[in-house]
Amino acid sequence: MFYLRYLRNELVRRRTRTIVTLVGLGLGVALVVAIASLSKGLDRAQHKTLDPLAGIGTDLTVTLQPQQQQNGGFGGGNFGGPGGGGGGNRDLIQSNLSVLTDLSKLGKPGTHFVHDFFLPGTQLTFQQSAAQQIASLDGVQKATTGLTLLAEHQEGIVPKIVATLKTQAKTLTIQRNLPRPSAQDFAKMQACLQKLGVSIGRPQTQQNGGSGFGGGGSFGGGGTTRSADRSAFQKCLPASLRRFRTRVTTPSQTLKQVLNPPQTNISTTAYTIGGVDQTSPTMGVVTTAQVTKGTFLSPAGGKEALVATSYAAKHSLKVGSKLDLNGTTFTVVGVVSPPLGGQGADVYLPLKQLQTLANEKNLANVVLVHAKSSSDVAKVKQEIQAALPEAQVASSKDVADTISGSLVDASNLSHDLGLALSIVAAVAAFLLAALLALSSVGKRVRELGTLKALGWTQRMVVRQVAAESLATGILGGIVGIALGVAVAVAIDEFGPSLSASSSTGTDFANLGVSTVRTATRSVSLSAPVGITVLAIGFGLALLGGLIAGTAGALRAARLRPADALRQVE
Amino acid sequence: MSLYELSGVARYFQRGPTTVRALDDVSLEIEPGEFVALEGPSGSGKTTLLQILGALDRPSAGTVTFDGRDLVEQPDSALAELRLRSFGFVFQQFNLIPTLTALENVEAKLAPAGGTRERALELLAEVGLAERADHLPAHLSGGEQQRVAIARALSVEPRVVLADEPTGNLDSATGGEIIDLLANLAAEHGSTVIVATHDASLASRAPRRVAMRDGKLAGIVGAIPA
Repeated sequence: MFYLRYLRNELVRRRTRTIVTLVGLGLGVALVVAIASLSKGLDRAQHKTLDPLAGIGTDLTVTLQPQQQQNGGFGGGNFGGPGGGGGGNRDLIQSNLSVLTDLSKLGKPGTHFVHDFFLPGTQLTFQQSAAQQIASLDGVQKATTGLTLLAEHQEGIVPKIVATLKTQAKTLTIQRNLPRPSAQDFAKMQACLQKLGVSIGRPQTQQNGGSGFGGGGSFGGGGTTRSADRSAFQKCLPASLRRFRTRVTTPSQTLKQVLNPPQTNISTTAYTIGGVDQTSPTMGVVTTAQVTKGTFLSPAGGKEALVATSYAAKHSLKVGSKLDLNGTTFTVVGVVSPPLGGQGADVYLPLKQLQTLANEKNLANVVLVHAKSSSDVAKVKQEIQAALPEAQVASSKDVADTISGSLVDASNLSHDLGLALSIVAAVAAFLLAALLALSSVGKRVRELGTLKALGWTQRMVVRQVAAESLATGILGGIVGIALGVAVAVAIDEFGPSLSASSSTGTDFANLGVSTVRTATRSVSLSAPVGITVLAIGFGLALLGGLIAGTAGALRAARLRPADALRQVE
Repeated sequence: MSLYELSGVARYFQRGPTTVRALDDVSLEIEPGEFVALEGPSGSGKTTLLQILGALDRPSAGTVTFDGRDLVEQPDSALAELRLRSFGFVFQQFNLIPTLTALENVEAKLAPAGGTRERALELLAEVGLAERADHLPAHLSGGEQQRVAIARALSVEPRVVLADEPTGNLDSATGGEIIDLLANLAAEHGSTVIVATHDASLASRAPRRVAMRDGKLAGIVGAIPA
């Protein structure tokens, strides 16, 4: 086919022009492909990493978080708080303070100890039954509970530092309430006194004789010699009443005590631990969807654990590793990649196991709620809020908003800038292609005039020029896609890591206690190239080719053959 | 019936405020099989007349009848069809397509007319360039390029070959060869030849010479063949 050979020759033999056009179009398309892929990668990473709830089959989380203000009202009410005590804030701080190691309980000085302390972190615990209450609400498909705790892992040598304290002698006066003498005792005492010749007044009544001991009246009312009376009383009082008044003097004492040691090799690492309802593998603090290696917790809820990827890497844990938590050995059955924010944790145990370990029987600190339909979420949120006024109900977006870091920045950037950059790149590529096509036609005016002189119709000339541009567009698209894919692959291969961190909790700065829980996840930047992206890139190149072709063809069509021939090269 | 009948043909160009009369009241008849030279200095209107004869341009006034058809009234597509099948052009600058080989340049005219590659090769052989069929114009000498152009012009067996200063870019020896080749091949293919030239020695080879001055016919030397 002559016309195709002509087309090929134009492209091959005008190499410089073709290459410039291809590079221009290619770079434009490559940029679009790379940006689109990157944007998609970021979206995907963000979706996976930052969408904390969708990943765990949840629409809403319900937690009980202390307020900064010390307003009571916590713990009571519908949740039936921890121990029913008021002042949730104080409770929480108290619970968290327990991490201050009581060294005396860890063992003898010089011995090595390992201990994990479980703290409620930011969220107050409540009875697990709250989940049933929420599950019964209209529009709620399912509700499960979870327990996410802040764990402090301490290990080191129990230190020995002895301080000497001297206590001062103290005299203590002790008043005792004595049991009432029985009627028999009373009769005995009376007989005894009479025998000793001490006359006493008749007691008022036998029934309430006890009251007589209160004052000296009944007893001391005899009026005989007081000393004789006293000794007689001493003798005759029943043994149980004999000493109702005691005076004790403690001896001065020297105490030796192990004190808060300044120098120890005790190291503390903090991590988060989550209790999972292992019978609900698709919805919970972590779900089967996040298992990247191994398996999910078995429904039986044995001594099994899941560890987050980052935690596993840091502590060289893998499936089959053993995890010792205060003497209980858990086997790692799976590695998970939980979403950030919300209830993400480093280590997951079956809920019952964690409750036992942390001494939080039947307590949870989060209820995960799955609405019947996504359109119900807002309504369900209101219902829960109404039913449990103290609770904090967070939707996916609320939680996502707490997440920050370079991943979020990059994602935002890619949304804001990526699109603009793509458009600029595409437009620049189009303009370049169109200009080159125009200049190419400009330079070929005489050639095109010759073709007309040879008998080519307007249509044939236009078709040839347009086909050249279109072919350039297609080739440019191929070059661009190849370049773009190369860039995407390079990003996948050598791409920088982005981080995302989520901080949940409150900083009780004014109280000197921070219960902020921070989780950071590093996400390797990836740029997955999808069919859609490729199609878009190719479509853009074609469009560029078409625009260029139309521009060139329009110019070529306007040529009158005689004028065209008159042009001198 | 004459092949061409021109009557009162004029062609004006607007150059800014002034109107240039490239052709002014030209009346002329050309018979089939003639070899006609349009003679005159540059700017005398030869090229314009040649373009009107070759259906590349339309006159501003007057009538041009080719083979009984009034070219002025034909639509562009009909003119293109005429150029394709009835006319062959040879230019001073050769006007070969630079990206096409000698063979492909011949095909550029043959292909739209439905001709084959083999036919193109035959024509190259006729002009003595069979061996250089795969050469690009840049690798051919001026004379060779003009031979390719002649092969291209004759490829569709046109009624008329229109040559505009075909030897203008060639030395005189080569120019002579080219004119001989053109004349001989045109005779063989039965084509009428109209050559525009300012070269008197070249024009003298033509049986009929039409002299032009300032867009007007200045005289016709040689008889119209009976």
